[in-house]
Amino acid sequence: MRGLLALTVFGGGIAHATLAPALRIADVAPDIPLIVVVLLALRRGPEFGCIGGFAAGLLQDTAGGGLVGVQALTKSLIGFAIGTAGGRLWVSQPLVQVPGLVLLSLVEGLARYALLKLFHFPAPFGELMLYVVLPQALYNGFLGAALVLALAWTQTQRGAS
Amino acid sequence: MRVRRVFLLAVTLAVCLVLLTIQGRGQESRAADLVAVVTTPVQRALAALHRGAFGAWSTYVEWKNVRAENRRLREEVRQLRVNALVVSETAGENHRLRRLLGLRDSLPLQTLAGEIIAREWGGWVRSLTVNRGRGDDVQRLIAVISPDGLVGRVVDVRPGSAVVQVLTDPASTVGAHVLRTRTPGIVEGEPRGTLRFKYMARDGAGLEVGDVVVSSGQGGVFPRGIPIGRVRSIDDRGSALFHYAALAPVVDFARIDEVLLVIGDRGKDLTAFFPAPTGG
Repeated sequence: MRGLLALTVFGGGIAHATLAPALRIADVAPDIPLIVVVLLALRRGPEFGCIGGFAAGLLQDTAGGGLVGVQALTKSLIGFAIGTAGGRLWVSQPLVQVPGLVLLSLVEGLARYALLKLFHFPAPFGELMLYVVLPQALYNGFLGAALVLALAWTQTQRGAS
Repeated sequence: MRVRRVFLLAVTLAVCLVLLTIQGRGQESRAADLVAVVTTPVQRALAALHRGAFGAWSTYVEWKNVRAENRRLREEVRQLRVNALVVSETAGENHRLRRLLGLRDSLPLQTLAGEIIAREWGGWVRSLTVNRGRGDDVQRLIAVISPDGLVGRVVDVRPGSAVVQVLTDPASTVGAHVLRTRTPGIVEGEPRGTLRFKYMARDGAGLEVGDVVVSSGQGGVFPRGIPIGRVRSIDDRGSALFHYAALAPVVDFARIDEVLLVIGDRGKDLTAFFPAPTGG
């Protein structure tokens, strides 16, 4: 549990710090810690999702220089929710994974906006959704699905050998 | 279990809300400081890993670039070497052709320049094939010369080429004399690819190593005075009628590339038109 948690936090953090800039398409970068938290919460449950989401979000908050605790809160909620619902969801198909991750990213974006709005966040909702949250959600969906497929393929190969 | 989960979520949310509340009350720095105590070491570790990963990556990219550059430079060096060889070859050819042209312009004979296109260098036959043939009015038994001296004679004429029997061919004989003593004799080719000068003992008194042997002009095939070789050694056979002198040819038959075919009058003395052979 601890090792996996560290892996989530560090792996997501490293990936976010190193890969996200490289993966930027038209100024849209994926939220890799969110993808990692979601994928691992599905496997490990709500506790893991909650703590992993909190740690990863806190790191992102601190690194970003904004309000500390916003992403920690949203990601821990997302992690907890997806960890709880994971057992009842059929998530092994890309047709579910892509829209699922898109939806989760949108929810996370909405929650973050709502929280920030409490602190007089000035950006207009429409523009933020159109140019930031929605593109990133789509990107997260496809990248997460690709990651899941890659992991499944690796496991199949390992099983075959 | 369920209670534990809810408790965990509640604690997490509470921590987040406390942090946000602290910041919302204008104490951003305190909250940030609090979190930074925990997150800064993690961030440092992440940054170090990031730097390490990028360092390794940039090293790999640089290594790849160096390898590609190395390959490109090797190719460039190879190309430059080839170019240098071409330039050197062209310079050598230029020098040879200038000499040939100089000789052709200075000789009081009608000559035709030809390029060696094949060589037959076995012990039985020693010949060269030039790229001048019947279409160029080349005839059998005409002399073939180079700026250094006599090469041989044409023994076969074909539509686009002619075969030249070189002096070292075992069947080659040329009337010759020693330039200094006027000792007459015959230059014969030998199977081992050398030349020998056959002369009558009573005429050859005073023959010395280093003497130059030139064509005598007798027989009408070769003009008079073309250098053939230099006496390398004398085979004194006592009271025998004929003595022999081994000759070092003045022409390097194995390396010659261009020749002149004497197609006009062959009755002139050309001694003055050839430089004294060197070496020996």
